[in-house]
Amino acid sequence: MSEKTPHRRPATFKLGDPGVIVMDPDETGRPARGTVHVTPEADPALLPVPIDAPLVPVRRGFRWGALFWSAVGGLVLLGTGLGIVNMVEDLFARSQTLGYVALAFAVAAALALSVVIAREAFGLARLAAIEKLHLRAAEVLRSDDRAESRAVVNELLRLAHQNPQLARARATLVSHADDIIDGADMIKLAERELMAPLDEEARRLVSQAAQRVSVVTAVSPRALIDVLFVFVAAMRLIRQLARLYGGRPGTLGMISLLRHVIGHLAITGGMAVGDSLVQQMLGHGIAAKLSQRLGEGVLNGLLTARLGLAAIDVTRPLPFTALPRPALADLAKDLLRKRDGEA
Amino acid sequence: MPPSFSDIVEEARLSARALLDYGDSFFNPTVRLGVTGLSRAGKTVFITALIHGLTRGGRFPVFEPYATGRIARARLEPQPDDAVPRFDYENHVRTLIEERRWPNSTVDISELRLVIDYQRQNGADRTLTIDIVDYPGEWLLDLPLLSKSYEQWSVESLALSCEGPRAKLAAPWHEHLKTLHPEGRENEQAALAAAKLFTDYLRACRDERFAMSLLPPGRFLMPGNLAGSPALTFAPLEVASDGSAPDGSLWAMMRRRYEAYKDVVVRPFFRDHFARLDRQIVLVDALAAFNAGPEALHDLEAALSGILDCFRIGRSTILSSLFRPRIDRILFAATKADHLHRQSHDRLEAVLRRAVAKAADRAEYAGAAIDVVALAAVRATREAMVARGRDKLPSILGTPAPGESANGEAFDGETEVATFPGDLPADPEELFNGGFRGLSSTPSETADFRFLRFRPPLLERAANEEPALPHIRLDRALQFLIGDRLQ
Repeated sequence: MSEKTPHRRPATFKLGDPGVIVMDPDETGRPARGTVHVTPEADPALLPVPIDAPLVPVRRGFRWGALFWSAVGGLVLLGTGLGIVNMVEDLFARSQTLGYVALAFAVAAALALSVVIAREAFGLARLAAIEKLHLRAAEVLRSDDRAESRAVVNELLRLAHQNPQLARARATLVSHADDIIDGADMIKLAERELMAPLDEEARRLVSQAAQRVSVVTAVSPRALIDVLFVFVAAMRLIRQLARLYGGRPGTLGMISLLRHVIGHLAITGGMAVGDSLVQQMLGHGIAAKLSQRLGEGVLNGLLTARLGLAAIDVTRPLPFTALPRPALADLAKDLLRKRDGEA
Repeated sequence: MPPSFSDIVEEARLSARALLDYGDSFFNPTVRLGVTGLSRAGKTVFITALIHGLTRGGRFPVFEPYATGRIARARLEPQPDDAVPRFDYENHVRTLIEERRWPNSTVDISELRLVIDYQRQNGADRTLTIDIVDYPGEWLLDLPLLSKSYEQWSVESLALSCEGPRAKLAAPWHEHLKTLHPEGRENEQAALAAAKLFTDYLRACRDERFAMSLLPPGRFLMPGNLAGSPALTFAPLEVASDGSAPDGSLWAMMRRRYEAYKDVVVRPFFRDHFARLDRQIVLVDALAAFNAGPEALHDLEAALSGILDCFRIGRSTILSSLFRPRIDRILFAATKADHLHRQSHDRLEAVLRRAVAKAADRAEYAGAAIDVVALAAVRATREAMVARGRDKLPSILGTPAPGESANGEAFDGETEVATFPGDLPADPEELFNGGFRGLSSTPSETADFRFLRFRPPLLERAANEEPALPHIRLDRALQFLIGDRLQ
C-alpha cells in the first residue's frame, strides 16, 4: 500500500455531505466522478469465532493409573533382573563357560532393552510435541499473537526438516519469516505451504487402506481373518499417518495414539452422523442387495476410512483452517469408484 | 549516589510490608495490577472497561477463563485502604454510556477491588482478588525524581526547556530566572513567582499542539490537596550540578523544598501504590504525539524510559515475593487503536515497541514476560473503506467530539464522519528520525497525521441491561495480564 504512495495525507469526510455516498458492503460499482464512496466494513469482533472441540480431553489431577503401571513395571523388571542374576550365578557355579555365555546374553538383552526403551521414550516425546504444537497453533489462531505464531512456525519447520519432499515449501516459508504477517495468517500460511502435500499423501494412504480392507473383507473365507486383517491394516494406517506428519511412534506410542484416535472418533462420530451416515447406509444397502459379502466389504472400508480421518486429525501438527478437512464423502467416492471399476 | 539512611529505612519498610502481604495472599490470592500511563493515556477508561467487561459480561473470546465459562462471576468489594477514595466506577460508566462523554481527567488517586470467582481447570473453586489504582498520570512523572538531587534536576530541567518548541514556551520563565541569584538571600516572593512561571511553562507544553510528556514535577500540573503549600513552591535555578548551597540562600530554600516534595509527595505515592505491583500495563497514547510532531514523540520516549526505570521488574521467586516483590509481566499497550484502521495496528505496535525498546529489553533480561499490543479499551469507531477517485483509503467512522476540527471545519458532536488519519510508515525509525510534520511546527492543513477525538460509541440498550462496551484486544490484554493466575 504505502510502497506505491510514500505517504497519503489525512482526510476527513462528513457523512452528511452531498458528495459523500455511504454504500453497503456487498454493493459494488465504481465511484462516480467527484464523489466519495464510504463502505463500512464488517466488524471482525462480531464475526463468530470458530472453536474446535479439544482434540484430547484435558487431563486433570494426578495420574494414579500411570503411577500404578510404572510401579508394577519397575517391580517386574526388578524381579526379572533378580532371576537372571541368580541364574547366571548358578551357571557360574556349575561351569565357568556356561556362566560367561549366560552373562553375555544378559548384557546383550540389557543393551537391547535400553535401546528399545530409549526409542519408545523418544517416540512418545515426539508425539507429545506434535500434540502440543497442535494446541499452540489452535491458540494462536484465536489470539492472533505474532511472536507465538513465529515460535510455532519455527518448531514446525524443525519438525518438517526430516521430510525431504518439503524442502521447497520450507524455503518459501522461511522467506516469509520477516514479512509483516499477523499471527493467525502466519499459521494459515504455514498450513498451506507445509501441509498441502502431506494432506494429499495422507488422503491417498487412507483411501488405499480402505480399499484394501474392503477387498479382503469381500473375499476372505472366515470372519476371524477379516477381524485380524482390519486390525492390522488400521494399525498400519495410523503408523503411516503418524510418520507422514512427523511422528515416530514405537509400541507405546502406537497405544497412546490409538487411544487418542478412538477418543477423537467418539467425539467427532456424533457430528459426522448427520452428513454421511445416511449415504453410507444407503450405499451399503445397495451393495448388500447385490451381495452380502460385497456390502460388508464396503462398510468395513468406510469404517477404516473414518478411522483414518480421525487419525489425520490427531497426528497432524496444525488444525485444519486454511485447507479443507478431508471428508468421508471424498474417500467413499474413491472407494466406490474403484469398486465399480473392478466389478 | 550511595544509598542514604532514609533510603535504607524506606527499603526496610517496603520489605516488611511485602512480608505482610505475602502472608495475606496465602489465604486470599491477590494480583496488584498497576495501570501505568501518562495523563490522557486512557487509564480511567481502561479500568472502567475492564471492570465493566468482567462484571457485566463482555465479548472476550481470547480471554480463556472467560470464554470457556470458568469465571462464575466478578464483583466489586470494599477496598483495603480506608484513606483512599473509591474509584467512581458507576459514574464513569454512566458518563460513557449515557452521556457519551469520556470521563473527566483524574485529579486525585482512587482505588477499587475486584473479586473474581472462578473454577480452576482441575475443578476446584477459587477466588482471585484484583486491586486496581487510578491516579492522575502527571504524578507518575515524579517517580524518576526519587533518584535525583535538586541540582541534577535543575540542570536537566533547564537544558530541556531550551530545546525545540519548549524554548519559546519557557521564555517568560527564563526571563525571570535571569533576575534571580541562587546564592542571594532566601526570598519567598521570588520563589512564588518562579514556581508560578515554571508551572505556566509546564502547562503550556501540555497543549494539544505540542503534547509534551516529560514535565516533572507532576504535582505542579495536578496539585491535588497540596496546592499552594511550600512543598510545591520551588523551581529550578541556574546552579552547578555538583555545587552545594550556602546557608540561608534562595538555593538552599529551593533545595529544602524539593527534598520535602520528594519526602511528602513522591515517596508515599510510590510506596503505597507502585512498590508492590505484580503485573503492570503501560498505557501509551502515541497518537497524540503523532499529531504534535517528532519532538513530542521523543519526549514521550524519554518520559517512558525514565518512569519504567523506577519499577522493580523481573522473574518472581519465593525470596523476591517475600521481601522485594517484582513485576513479572508487563504489557505495553498503544491505546486508542480504534483511531486507526485495523491494517495499521501492526505498525502502531511497531512504533510502540521501538519507543519502549530499552525498557522492554531490560525487563526481558531480568526475566519478566513482556508483550506489546495495540488496544482500545472502549471502541468509539467502526472501520470503513473510502474510495476517492482511484484511491482507497482505509478509514474509520465515528462522531468527533464537539470542538474538534478538521480541514478548518469545526464539528458539533453530532455529525458522523469518515476520516483517514494518514499512513503510518512501515519502518518506525522513519518517525523517530523526525520524518514527519506535526501541529507543533505546521498548521493543521499540512500536518502528516490528524487523529480526531471521537465521542464514545452509541450503544443499543437491551431491556434493563447495560450494553457491553465494544473494545479492541482488551481480551488479549487480560489474557496476558491475569490469564495465568486463573488457570
